[in-house]
Amino acid sequence: MAVDITKSKCVYCGGCVAACPVLALTLFETRVVCDEAKCISCGTCVRACPMQAIKLKNKK
Amino acid sequence: MVFAMQQTYDVIIIGAGPAGTSFARVAAHGGLDVLVIDKRKELGSPVRCGEGIGAHWEGKIKLPLHGGAIAYKIDGAKCFAPNGKTLKTQTPETKGYVLERKIFDKYLAIEAARAGAHILPKTIATELVKENGKPAGVKARTFDDEVLEFRAPLVVSAEGMEAKIAREAGFADAVAGLYDTDTCFEYEMANVECEPLIEIWFSNLYAKRGYVWVFPKAKDVANVGVGIGGDLNEHPKERLDKFIKAHPERFKNAEVVEVKAGNIWVGPPLKELVKDNFMVIGTAAHQVDPIHGGGMALAIEAGVIAAETALKAARAKDFSKRALGEYETRWRAAEEGKLAKRLRLRKVLELFTDEDFNRVFELLDEKDLERVLNGDFKPVVSKVLLKRPSLLKVLKALI
Ligand SMILES: Cc1cc2nc3c(=O)[nH]c(=O)nc-3n(C[C@H](O)[C@H](O)[C@H](O)COP(=O)(O)OP(=O)(O)OC[C@H]3O[C@@H](n4cnc5c(N)ncnc54)[C@H](O)[C@@H]3O)c2cc1C
Ligand code: SF4
Ligand code: SF4
Repeated sequence: MAVDITKSKCVYCGGCVAACPVLALTLFETRVVCDEAKCISCGTCVRACPMQAIKLKNKK
Repeated sequence: MVFAMQQTYDVIIIGAGPAGTSFARVAAHGGLDVLVIDKRKELGSPVRCGEGIGAHWEGKIKLPLHGGAIAYKIDGAKCFAPNGKTLKTQTPETKGYVLERKIFDKYLAIEAARAGAHILPKTIATELVKENGKPAGVKARTFDDEVLEFRAPLVVSAEGMEAKIAREAGFADAVAGLYDTDTCFEYEMANVECEPLIEIWFSNLYAKRGYVWVFPKAKDVANVGVGIGGDLNEHPKERLDKFIKAHPERFKNAEVVEVKAGNIWVGPPLKELVKDNFMVIGTAAHQVDPIHGGGMALAIEAGVIAAETALKAARAKDFSKRALGEYETRWRAAEEGKLAKRLRLRKVLELFTDEDFNRVFELLDEKDLERVLNGDFKPVVSKVLLKRPSLLKVLKALI
């Protein structure tokens, strides 16, 4: 499972990383990466993102 | 550090924000061999902050502010009710500065380096290294894309909101639950006329469970931002744009010169701040004021206290949870009572309708606002209830 990040909207604030309950996300300076093996598609990061930059992959 | 990357230290600090570099400065000054790593290539950037700091902190954090880091001097605070009524206060606590975080954070790093700390930017800590089940260092990826292992008997998380290594070390409550997080969006704008006052606008329309702020960086430049309850599924940018459109006189010539966003913790601090060979400081430890979301000064204070404890621990060669616990005891004695009071106030404000805000503003004067800010709720609540007994339901938590 995973999430999609719209790079053009993202401001690299790390809000999604802080909220992810299973440590699936990592912010590498300007790039958020989702560890698909860890993500449980809970949607917490989607709600946490101040820029509406994240979507769950299967729910486009 | 430029050449000869050494791999063992007395302490490794993850994060070169105000917490991490303050820890590093004090620890290095005391003689410890200190490494600070930060994944950012440019410390302090991107800014996720309103950049306001109270002047009363200057003495407390034992570091005069670098002139270049101060954008504007602030004389007080002005609070706005939803109907536009204002209350102004000019207590020592509301005097202060709006900073330039990019300069401020880098200045703190320079001060740490002057004291002898090693700083390694654009290097991300990816994993906690353990030995016999206890923290013993971190794995990190440097800007040369080299994977290195740094070892130390003490690892300090100054990671800010993300707190990934802290969570890996077992501080499970360092996750940012959405109910206790404000999600924020901010423009830095030119051509916005300002008095040297911090402005706080209460409104359920624009900032449910939070507030809109205007923090001046010059007489015609300001950080204009909004923070709203993270679990509401509302979009802070939409709210802020709405607020700006609703005040055309103020913002008609405004030009955006920077866009900032981020989330900030507004709940209680972590249940534990230390474990064997590990400390958590600053916003990673949820040491943030739950009313205004200010965390810079608290981060610096925690960094200083934790470093003083680490120096003692190093002298005794004892990095056990018990030895490091002095930091936790001292920090809680200094800040926890006050923060708990402010959290109670926050919970009450969260219940306020716009009508409630308007009524309360009608009844309070500037002295009352000062009392509330100082945590002296009782006389103010009595005064309000005398005129508006119907507010008992929301206000009773403050009595
Ligand atoms: C929108 C907004 C407005 C705010 N306004 C104010 C305000 O007006 N006044 C105020 O006092 N506070 C404000 N705050 C809060 C303030 O920004 C923080 O409390 C403060 O920056 C905390 O300092 P810190 O050192 O604990 O963490 P940070 O400043 O967040 O620093 C953490 C550092 O750790 C680094 N890091 C994290 N993980 C790793 C890793 N794995 N490897 C390497 N490096 C890592 C990050 O890159 C970062 O540089 C605001 C916050 C937000 C979001
Ligand atoms: S959907 Fe849930 S588990 Fe997946 S990255 Fe987002 S917060 Fe983490
Ligand atoms: S919360 Fe949104 S804007 Fe912030 S880093 Fe994550 S995806 Fe980017």
